[in-house]
Amino acid sequence: MSRKRKSRAQAAVALNLAAMLDMAFQLLAFFIFTFKPSPVEGQISLRLPPPQAVKAKADPSVKAGSSDSDKPAGVETLVISVFATSGGRIQNLALGEGAVANVPQLERQLTTVLADADLKFEQVLIQVSPRLQYAELMTVIDACTKQKLPSGQKLTKLSFVELPEGEGG
Amino acid sequence: MSAPSGHGSDPDLTPMLDMVFQLVTFFMLVTSFKSAALDLTLTLPVAGSARPVDSGGKDKLLILNITPNGQLSLYGRAVDVESYIDGESQVSRMTARREGKEIAVGGDLPEVVVVRADRTTPFSMVNKVITSCQKHGYRSFAMRAMNKEGAP
Repeated sequence: MSRKRKSRAQAAVALNLAAMLDMAFQLLAFFIFTFKPSPVEGQISLRLPPPQAVKAKADPSVKAGSSDSDKPAGVETLVISVFATSGGRIQNLALGEGAVANVPQLERQLTTVLADADLKFEQVLIQVSPRLQYAELMTVIDACTKQKLPSGQKLTKLSFVELPEGEGG
Repeated sequence: MSAPSGHGSDPDLTPMLDMVFQLVTFFMLVTSFKSAALDLTLTLPVAGSARPVDSGGKDKLLILNITPNGQLSLYGRAVDVESYIDGESQVSRMTARREGKEIAVGGDLPEVVVVRADRTTPFSMVNKVITSCQKHGYRSFAMRAMNKEGAP
């Protein structure tokens, strides 16, 4: 009896690893073929209010206190107009009714206007030509989202309005 | 110079198996099937202030790929903008109801709409999608862009 037990204990247990290795290689092949590293994309976060008729202030130099009575108290809208060439590039820019030469200048003017605590601007309405390319629009959005309100918060409230076709500034 | 012995020489497969399992583990951890929702054929615009944001999976995202001709691309196939957003907003409201929150039709939905539009897409096409989202109650948007030219 004891001799039998001894012989059983001494028998080496050889695992057949080949089958497991086959399976592991199949899993590896699957992951290698389906692996697609996703690009690191940035994003600009915006709070877009629902579409509504906003009576905008035409001239940014006008003080908020003299605003129309039908606007929500304390909420002023700054209007930026972006006109496009036939190729979809930026042709003209306007801040309120004042023409702006280019996007860097728009950025500088926005900084000046939004830093003024008397002009309680809290949101920006961007009027855009329908054929303007998205990349061009993003340069304007980029200029807006870099701005800070007098309260220290970043400007994230934007609205978009499509200008009528053929409007060229 | 004797001939090799007739004994079977089984190679030790254990180290190879270890290595293969390590590789499998690596690929399992780095593979993200969420990226399948991204249409990588689109060329995103460049915006200097665009920053990668990792919400740690807390934010519910609605990813919208907009092709240069204004079509909504979902896993490589074009879908109708209005019906897709309508369907997604209904799902969102049903999910909120199951979680005990009632959201009325047109009420603010918690999802963040991720807009991935090609840089050449005309504004009218992008605006159509954004307006449709706003109409269905989406308020938070994330405009995807590269923060430098030539980024993958």
